[in-house]
Amino acid sequence: MAYLDINNVVKRYEGHTALNGVSMQVEQGTIYGLLGPNGAGKSTLIRIINRILAADEGTVTLNGKQMTDDDITHIGYLPEERGLYKKMKVGDHIVYLGRLKGMTKADAVASMHWWLDRFDLKEWENKKVENLSKGMQQKVQFIGTVIHRPPLLIFDEPFSGFDPVNAEQLKVEILALRDQGSTILFSTHNMASVEEVCQQITLLNHAQVVLTGSVDEVKQQHKKNIIAVQSPDTIEPNPELFAILPPDPVKKQDTRIKLASGVNVRDAINWLNEHYRLTGFTEVLPSMNEIFIETVKSKNTENNE
Amino acid sequence: MNKLRLIIAREYMSIVGRKSFIFLTLGMPLLFIFIMAVPIGLAWLNDKGSDTQQIAVIDETGRYAAALKSDDMYNFVAIKGDTVTNAREFYDKANGSLDAIIIIPRDVDSTGVVNIFSEGTITPALVSSVRNVLSDTIETAHLTAMGIPNIQEMVDKAHVDVDVRSITWSEAGGEQESSTEAAMGLGLMLSIFTYMFVLMYGAMIMNSVIEEKTNRIVEVVVSSCRPFQLMLGKIIGVGLVGLTQMAIWIVLLVVVAMVAGSAFGIGNVSPDAVSPEALASAKDMGAMEAIVRETLSINYTPIIVGFILYFIGGYLLYSSLFAGLGSAVDQPSDSSQFTTPVILIMLIAFYAGMACMDNPSGPTAVWCSIIPFTSPVVMMIRLPFGVPFWQLALSLGLLFGTALAITWLAARIYRRGILHYGKKASFADLFKWMK
Repeated sequence: MAYLDINNVVKRYEGHTALNGVSMQVEQGTIYGLLGPNGAGKSTLIRIINRILAADEGTVTLNGKQMTDDDITHIGYLPEERGLYKKMKVGDHIVYLGRLKGMTKADAVASMHWWLDRFDLKEWENKKVENLSKGMQQKVQFIGTVIHRPPLLIFDEPFSGFDPVNAEQLKVEILALRDQGSTILFSTHNMASVEEVCQQITLLNHAQVVLTGSVDEVKQQHKKNIIAVQSPDTIEPNPELFAILPPDPVKKQDTRIKLASGVNVRDAINWLNEHYRLTGFTEVLPSMNEIFIETVKSKNTENNE
Repeated sequence: MNKLRLIIAREYMSIVGRKSFIFLTLGMPLLFIFIMAVPIGLAWLNDKGSDTQQIAVIDETGRYAAALKSDDMYNFVAIKGDTVTNAREFYDKANGSLDAIIIIPRDVDSTGVVNIFSEGTITPALVSSVRNVLSDTIETAHLTAMGIPNIQEMVDKAHVDVDVRSITWSEAGGEQESSTEAAMGLGLMLSIFTYMFVLMYGAMIMNSVIEEKTNRIVEVVVSSCRPFQLMLGKIIGVGLVGLTQMAIWIVLLVVVAMVAGSAFGIGNVSPDAVSPEALASAKDMGAMEAIVRETLSINYTPIIVGFILYFIGGYLLYSSLFAGLGSAVDQPSDSSQFTTPVILIMLIAFYAGMACMDNPSGPTAVWCSIIPFTSPVVMMIRLPFGVPFWQLALSLGLLFGTALAITWLAARIYRRGILHYGKKASFADLFKWMK
């Protein structure tokens, strides 16, 4: 049984359907990527999990139990559009968010100190939020999200607005939280970060799930049987085994061959090895970025037809 | 419940802890005192700074000029009436050393007309002073001329100010003296208080809602509590801010009144120093005493209980309206399209209240005190005069029913509104969100 189980969720607004029968299973202790173009329904789904919105149909269960309003204390949520009370002091603000999630005052204060220390924000505790730089405000927001040590964390575009140094620190913290047992739902457009941190993904498009699975599985499913071959010789195409593709704009020295259907990698490499001097070869797997664009585009053309 | 308390505390502290709140709370009474004191001070400076005016009094009767006594402001110089044939010539001859000429004509006893001539402005203060002095003097002269002994005392004795006391029969058959004026004053005060409070703090709630929305903090907060809790927390928090501010103002008022009282020595009149002024003020004190007695005679329990109930109901009704409407806009400048109708309704309530003062049992008064949107203001005017129980029950029932319904609807709008960005919401959108 998955830790977070979303089953056939439907959400309709006046005039359009934001989610049309979406299902998704998130295992405990993993980082799960929720992907999709703008307007695909990601934010709506996240708000339903957070119980900000109610689903019209379908169920959301957490740890095997139907979610109730009380479960929101088990969630830490960092929305895409986020902000803070500008006039509040940093420490007070973090404690307030912690206590809203059901912490006692003493626990919240202790946790606040621990996190401020960890992010080198100790001397800012009694400063007003408006005096902080944007990057520091983002860190305070992150602390406000995790202060109550929730078992389920939901990050919507967590890296937007972070510089590379701070983004790296944030990534380390997110991975550390996962290692401590937190389950993390991660919504983003940043495909590079998906490949780095996510184990599982679901791709939403037009209110529906169009792709789901582990990152490795998805890549295998979308591979085009392309091999990058390194050789000092000029390789000629062999219609029975493979065709030659135009060179990759980045790795110009590699020859990219596309296997003919039904040909396995070993046969093609054996043949090449006999006829040319091979110095190396790698199977080319598509990047998540390519898969994202390809899937979204093909679905859009289908819909238009 | 715990979360609600947290939200209330944060809302309260976020406003009360602000410097602008402290300035406003202490500054408002100062501004008020300033507004009151400036004209008085300026008038005083104006009098103080101007030179004594030279005024010639040409008394053709030869009997009344002496009554005009010179002081710092006016120096009256009496001139025998037969020595001057032409006032204009006389004025010109003075070559600017005269500011005005008063001519008391020979037939003043029958016509009662006195003329003042001048090239410059004749101040209203001079006119009224001359009028008062000469009226009294000529009146006394007339009375004396009748040749009846002690006529002055007789006239004084005959003079009367009628004091109308209203006595209300209670249903139990008892009699109770009540003062319509004191009741009207109290009612007016309470209704203005409700009106001001709801408008001021309603606007504050609206701003607070819009601020959370523009800050983008709201989504984080509603992922930790129900939107309804956030809205209610705001309404209660701002309400408490309002009560705090009012309490500070009342304390300041009492302190200022006490300081002013001791500074001017009221209540320190020793029997030796009974001057005519003191006697006059003692007379005023008598009138004051009557007002105090009448004020005390009003039955306060129903008024206070009624005020608390109407105040809570009215505040809840309007503040949730403001909160709901505030959630639909992104920035304060967009809010007027929604607030204008609400403020209009409040204004109607206020004018209805004023209109009902003369006849607190008339049909307009009765209806406006039953309709929930106007009742908190209008009923305050009616309450001191006594209101039939069924009207009170109906009005309160409707008010609280409507307030709860509006709160519920506002919460539905709020829930959708706080996450609505970009396209400006219309009234049609609000109705959609209510569903």
